[in-house]
Parts: sequence; C-alpha cells; structure tokens
Amino acid sequence: MTILNESGVADTLSPLHALSGLAEKLPGAVIAVIGTRAEAFLAQSLDAAIPDRSPAIRRSPRVVFVVLDPAEPPEGGRIASRLIAEAAGISGARMMLLVAGRSAELLGVDAEFEARLVARRLDIPAAAVSLDPSGDSPGSLVTDLEDRALATLVNLCPTGTSENLELTAPTPKRSGLLGNFLGRGREETHAGRGKAVVLLGSSGDELAEELERAGVEVAGSVPGPDAATLPAIGEGTVIALTDPHLTDTSRAAEERGATVVRTLTPIGVDGTARFIQDVSAAVGMTANELGRAREAWEEMEHLRNRVRGKRIFFAGDTGYEIPLARFLADAGAVVLEVGAPRLDRRGLASEIQAMGADVDIVQYPDWQGQIHRADETRPDVVITSPGLYAPLVAHGHVCRCARDFLAAGPHGYEGARRILEMLVRTFERAEMLDSVNL
Amino acid sequence: MRLMRGVYEGPGSHGILRVAASMTNVHAVLRALPHEGYFHALYGAWSRGGEAPPVTLSPVWGDKLKQENSMAPGDLSRDLSQVVRRHPGTESVILARSEAALLSGEEIPTAALPESPETGLTPGLVACDWESPIVREVEAADLALEDLVRAHAKGRERSPDPTVNIFGPPIFSPNAAAEYDEAERLLDLIGVRINARVPLDAGVRDLARLPRAWANLVLYRETCESATMYLQDEFGTQRVTPPMIGSAGTGAALRAVGELCRLDPQRVQRVIWGELSHTSRLPWYARVATPETFEGHRVAIFGDFTYTLGLGYALAREVGLEVAPCGTYLTHLERDFLFHAHTFTEDAFVTDDPDEVADRLEQSRPVLIIGTHLERETAETLNIPFLPLCPPVVTHSFVQRPLMGYAGSSVLADALEGVLRRTDEKPEVLATSLPWSDEALDELEEIPAFLRGRARRMAEERARKLDATEVTAEILAEARH
Repeated sequence: MTILNESGVADTLSPLHALSGLAEKLPGAVIAVIGTRAEAFLAQSLDAAIPDRSPAIRRSPRVVFVVLDPAEPPEGGRIASRLIAEAAGISGARMMLLVAGRSAELLGVDAEFEARLVARRLDIPAAAVSLDPSGDSPGSLVTDLEDRALATLVNLCPTGTSENLELTAPTPKRSGLLGNFLGRGREETHAGRGKAVVLLGSSGDELAEELERAGVEVAGSVPGPDAATLPAIGEGTVIALTDPHLTDTSRAAEERGATVVRTLTPIGVDGTARFIQDVSAAVGMTANELGRAREAWEEMEHLRNRVRGKRIFFAGDTGYEIPLARFLADAGAVVLEVGAPRLDRRGLASEIQAMGADVDIVQYPDWQGQIHRADETRPDVVITSPGLYAPLVAHGHVCRCARDFLAAGPHGYEGARRILEMLVRTFERAEMLDSVNL
Repeated sequence: MRLMRGVYEGPGSHGILRVAASMTNVHAVLRALPHEGYFHALYGAWSRGGEAPPVTLSPVWGDKLKQENSMAPGDLSRDLSQVVRRHPGTESVILARSEAALLSGEEIPTAALPESPETGLTPGLVACDWESPIVREVEAADLALEDLVRAHAKGRERSPDPTVNIFGPPIFSPNAAAEYDEAERLLDLIGVRINARVPLDAGVRDLARLPRAWANLVLYRETCESATMYLQDEFGTQRVTPPMIGSAGTGAALRAVGELCRLDPQRVQRVIWGELSHTSRLPWYARVATPETFEGHRVAIFGDFTYTLGLGYALAREVGLEVAPCGTYLTHLERDFLFHAHTFTEDAFVTDDPDEVADRLEQSRPVLIIGTHLERETAETLNIPFLPLCPPVVTHSFVQRPLMGYAGSSVLADALEGVLRRTDEKPEVLATSLPWSDEALDELEEIPAFLRGRARRMAEERARKLDATEVTAEILAEARH
C-alpha cells in the first residue's frame, strides 16, 4: 500500500449538499445556515440538482437561511433574536444548530455567542457548527458537515453520571489472546467491565443490534432517535465510531475524556467483525465474530463470484472510499486506486494498515488526473463524485456515485451484502445496455 | 440580515461561471474556499452533456493550512498560469471570486499570463474587478459578458449583407439552445444571416467579429443588456429588445430587425403571415377555444424579467387571461419591470423572498401559477396547476423546446390548453372554506408560507371530519401531526 500525494484539487461537492439530509437525520432540530447568498444558494441548488435519496425531497421547514447583508453586518445578538422569533413558528423545535462559515466570521458574526443566546432564551440545546476545515486534516469531503454537526452534538451531550465519572485504570491490551488473534496493533483500550458503548455515526439500528447480540450494551447513539435524546458522553465513556470521516467528532469525544475505540470501520464483513470484537474488548468482553463473519461470507458467495476480479477505481468524495476499497478487495475485486480528498491518517490508521499491499491511495487527487488514469487503466467500475460522474460516463466508464453507497446503508454484515448487491446491479445493468444492438 | 427559506439568484461568482461555461475557449478560475466547489456537479446534472465545464477551483486555504500545502494549488497567480498550461486551447481566462474570497480582501494578481503552448498567444485575463458581495448572479453575468465583449470585440467594417448577432440566455437557462435556434430560423426566413450567437457556444473569435453585425437581437436582456449597450455606444450597433415571446412580441422583434437591416417591410410581413398560419398556434388556440375557457381566470406569473414580461403580455393580450399577480425577483431591474408590467396587469411586484411570493400566491388563488422551481411547492400545497417556465429552474430536459418565437408560442398554447382544460373538469374544491378562530389564524401565520396552503387544507379537512363549525388552534395543531 502506497500513499501518493498528488497535490491537486479534487472534485469535491460542497458539504452544504448534506443540509436537507441532516435535517432528516435530526428530527426536531432546526438548522439555521448563517452566511451570505452563496451558502443559501449552494444548499438549495445542490439539493435540487443532485437529490440524495428520493428525487423530490421537500424543502424542510426546519432549514432556514440567515442571509447577511455584507454592507450592513448585524449587531451581536440580532441573529439570535430573529431565530428565536422564527423558532416559535416551527412545531416541535427541540434543538437548534447554527451553521456558519468563513463569510459569517469575516462579517463579524460570532455564531457561538448567538447560539448561547438562543439556548438561554428558548431553553433548548443550541450550538454553532463550523463549515470551515478544522485544520487537523486539510482538504474537504462532501460529508464534512455531518462530521461537524455530530461533533457539535457530542458537545451538547450531558457529561454523564457520577458512576461514569469514576476513572477506571487503563489496562493496555496490546497482547493477550484477542490481540494475538487479530494480529495488527490496535491502540490501547481502556477496560471497564460491562461498560456501555455510545455509537457515533450514521449506522442505524442494525449495527447496534449486532453489538447487542455480541453482548455489548449500547447506551445510545448520536444522532439518536430524535434531536433531544442524547446519551451521556464523558470521562470513561467508550465511543465507537461507525463512519470513517468523523475526525472532528472523534476529537470532540476525546476532549471530553471519552475513550474512542480505534478499530476498523464497520463496513464490510471483516470490518464489521473486527469492529465488534474490538468494541467488545474495549468494554472488557470477549466476542468472537469468526463464525458470524464466515457465515456472512458464505451467504454472499454468489455475489462475491460476480465481483471477483472486477477492477475498481475510487474517485469519490465521501471519505468512505478507503473502507469500501478494503472490503471490496477482500471480496476479490482488484482496487486500482483510492482517491482521498481529505485523509485523516490518525483516525484511519487501522484502515490504512488493513489495506492490501498493492493498493494505491492518492491523497489530494487532481480530478483531471483521475479521469486520465481511469482512461488508461479502464476499470470495470468507477466509484465517483457527482461532478466527475457525467464526464466519466461520457468516456465510456461504468460509474456509481459514492453517495449511493451511503444511502444504501453500508454498515454491518447486511450492509456488506447491500454494497455487493449494488455493484452487481451496476454490472448487470451495464451488461444489459451493452448487449443492445443500437 | 434577512431570514429566508430559499433564494432565486446565486452569488455573483455563479453568474460569471455561467457566462464563462456557456462559451468555448474561455476558462474560468473560481477563487473560493476548498469546500465551496460545486460547479462540476451542477453542470453535470443540468447541462445533460458529458463534458467537464471549463472551470478550475483555486482554493483559499487560509492561514492555518497554507504552509503545509506550499506546492499545492492555492496560490492565485500560479493557478491562473497553470490553467493556461493545462488547457492550451484557452483564449481568455476569467476570474470569479466567491463571497468568502471577496470578504477576505485578497488582491487580484497583476502578473501577465504565460503563452499558450499550443497557439503561442497569451490569453487575456478578465479579472471582474467590479465583483463584490452585493452584486448578484444575474447582474454579475451581465457585467462579465460585457467585460468579455469589451476585451475581444474589434472595430471592423460591417458585413456587406445584413447580419445580426443573437444575444441570448447563458447555460442553465431552460431550453437556451432551442431559443437561439428558433431565433436563427426566423431570421433566416426574413433573409438575415447570423453574425454570432452570444454567449452560448460562442468563442473568442465570435466576440471579435461582433461589430460586423447590422443589429443586435437581444433575446435575454437580463444578461445581455450591458454588452449590447456597449456595442451600441462603441460601434453604433442598434439593439432590438422586445421579448420574443408570444406572436405579438416575435412579430415586433422581426419587424424591428427588418427595419435595421433595411429589408423590404412587405417581405418581412409576408414571412410573419406565413408563420402565423403555419407555425404559431397561440393566436389560433385563442380563437378556437370558447371565451369561457379564459373568462375570469387569473394566472400568476413570477420569475425573471424577459420570460415573466413576455409570458405576461402574451397571456394578458393575446389569450385574454387576467394576469395577477406578476412579479420578478430581479430587484435591480425594479423600475423597468414595473413600467412594462403595468401595461398588462394592475398587480405587479418585485421581491426576492420566496416566502413573500408564496404569500401573494396564496392570497390571490389563481387557476394557474407560472414560475420558477421555488413556486412548485407552493403550487402543490395550494393544489393549483403549475408550469415551470421561468428561470431559475432545476429540472432540465434532454429535449429542448423553445418558448420564444412562433414555435415557442405553440409550445405555450399546448401547455395552457393542458392546464385550462384540466381546471374545466375540476371545479374549485376550495370554495367552501370554514371560518377560522383568531387564535388559529395567528398560528397559521407562523407556518412558513410555502407550507401554509397544505396546513390550511389539512386543518379544514380535519375540522369537517370532526363536524366542527370553526377551525380552532387545536384542530390546526392536530392536523399538522
């Protein structure tokens, strides 16, 4: 495995694209985007042009745009009072997120201050979400807004009960039976017998069920069933990240003293198995997922046969490319290249280690270079960002949008099957279209 | 500061990119934050082609990340030079800066661009130094086109035979290419050749020969006003400005072209008559349908300048529908718009807030709403037929059909007939509305305007189910859940 830095500009869709999806994932949350015309325009047009799921997502009444007048920036507190007045008309507003980017900052808006005012006056949780890169891992992903919003939600979580605050002595578990069995070095896990786990990410219920089946108690998840229900996260809480792009979220949890389990993303069969085993180990339990993993592989043998030997090129912008590539390589596909517009080396250390030896990761890929390399290597399918989709199809490639995999729900053993089914469907359709005598 | 639920116009940079991406051999550099890239995705979804747009992002990394990426793109003057090297066919480079980039107060680099490795020529840089966060999409597109024309139009002799430049809409305008084609077809019929089509698919060479034309036919005034005014002042090329929508507007435009090109007026009139009897079905539709089809029917139109006024005039005068309200979101054209709109409606207005438009639509209860994609939802919640004929729209069809010219008037007739026939079959269901308590009315006011129609209908349905004599705040709340 090699990491090449191409120092280019990747085709990454603005993270504002996720806005309506975010409103959907956080029922009860009012999302206010503070900025200039650009933010409102991008959020609205991208949502309409590149629909996330159903083609006609309704404009959510819980998404509002605070459009600032550059000639006349508002005084501190004005935005808050306007939002407070607006919240009265939104039924069931139980939380408010104030999304603000560089423009708002340059116009002198202190989003955190406005959020504190909203929280105090409405007596609901409210917080600012930054649109700008945090600086730890430069670059941009289309899923960045989800990461920042989750980080904000983590900061809104209660710190926990006194029981949780009790510090348990960390026991490094580098060796031991499980460690040997799994081979590669994980970061140390703080053990506390029978502790509950908090899931961070968009995995849904299936993964929680898998964990419960393995005997791990899931105390809650962020995002939860609705915006107001937040689990306690504090000193000693064990956190399992279910998505690969959650850099800020992971840091927010760590800053609160929680223990973030460093393991594979629960995507693909082996990823899910490792995830469950490592999360179990982190709470002091022993889970053996070997049998379940073998069963899962056997169940999808027919799908695997269709994917085996297929050559796949990843040019997506979601951050899920690396775990997806790892899984598909395990399933027998040939991964030609994995583009990473933003690469959080620390958070993805386990993923990078688990990647096969002959896979190239291209950091900061140049989009023209990607098209050029895809033309040269002629992959069987390109997993791509929305901006490269049409040009690549025009060059004769079979394409799939990276966000499609997220929409299908890639997590867990069932998710692994859905990923393969989706690819097989793509191949079948391409074959069907190619067989037509035009 | 305003609280909005949507915007019609994008930022100025989007307008510049639309003009640049309309043309060939013009490359745009978007100076923006790394996470402000969007144009490729939008272009792929809307242009329906397989080409990547000629747009390069030059990311503003900010102080935190600058050092680390020293050789990566991010330095504006280097990125501008890089564009010339990587796209050797480029003849003109245009710079668009996002609002965040503008607010950060960066200087425009003054260094000259390198020579193109292919042509050996140095492309010009159009820097758009007038750009500021208060200039919005449409005005910016207008100014960017003027800058491009200024940079490349060369003084030359007029063509020996009468020729005309067509100044039409840029990309992302619905059916843009079809509008140019229809105008070209009609001009060909009256015996005028096309000198250049601008900006769609125009190259720098087309811009250079603009002054040869005898007249400029302005199809889309919003983005072509400044450029054609410049050509008029500098080269004396007269403009033809009536919106070519509906039969009357098209005829007026053709007669004006004929006059400027010194054609035989009788020949032009013969062509117009021929088109009226063969192509244009709008006058025919207005004559064959019964007066009751249109009587007392009100149509609301909202959108840009050209389409809104053109459709408003055609529907009010040629078809005999009542047009009210009729509005535009182009606040910078307010005076002109109101002046023209008052020739066919009493109820003209200007606003750029979708909620206010939704409010007005809800109050006026027309039989048909013609608007942009932001009115679709309002129309749906009010259960009123809707035609998305005004830019901006977000659904772009594979087959383009014109709305301008005589062929366009037939497309309009078809659309109208489909809608008005439907309302004949389905009489007003909202006629018997229940009384509302004051409290419930206050609650209703709080609901976002674009959802209010649905909320009102659901509450009244619920009240009827409960056999209530009045809609109360409780019934409204229950109906919403």
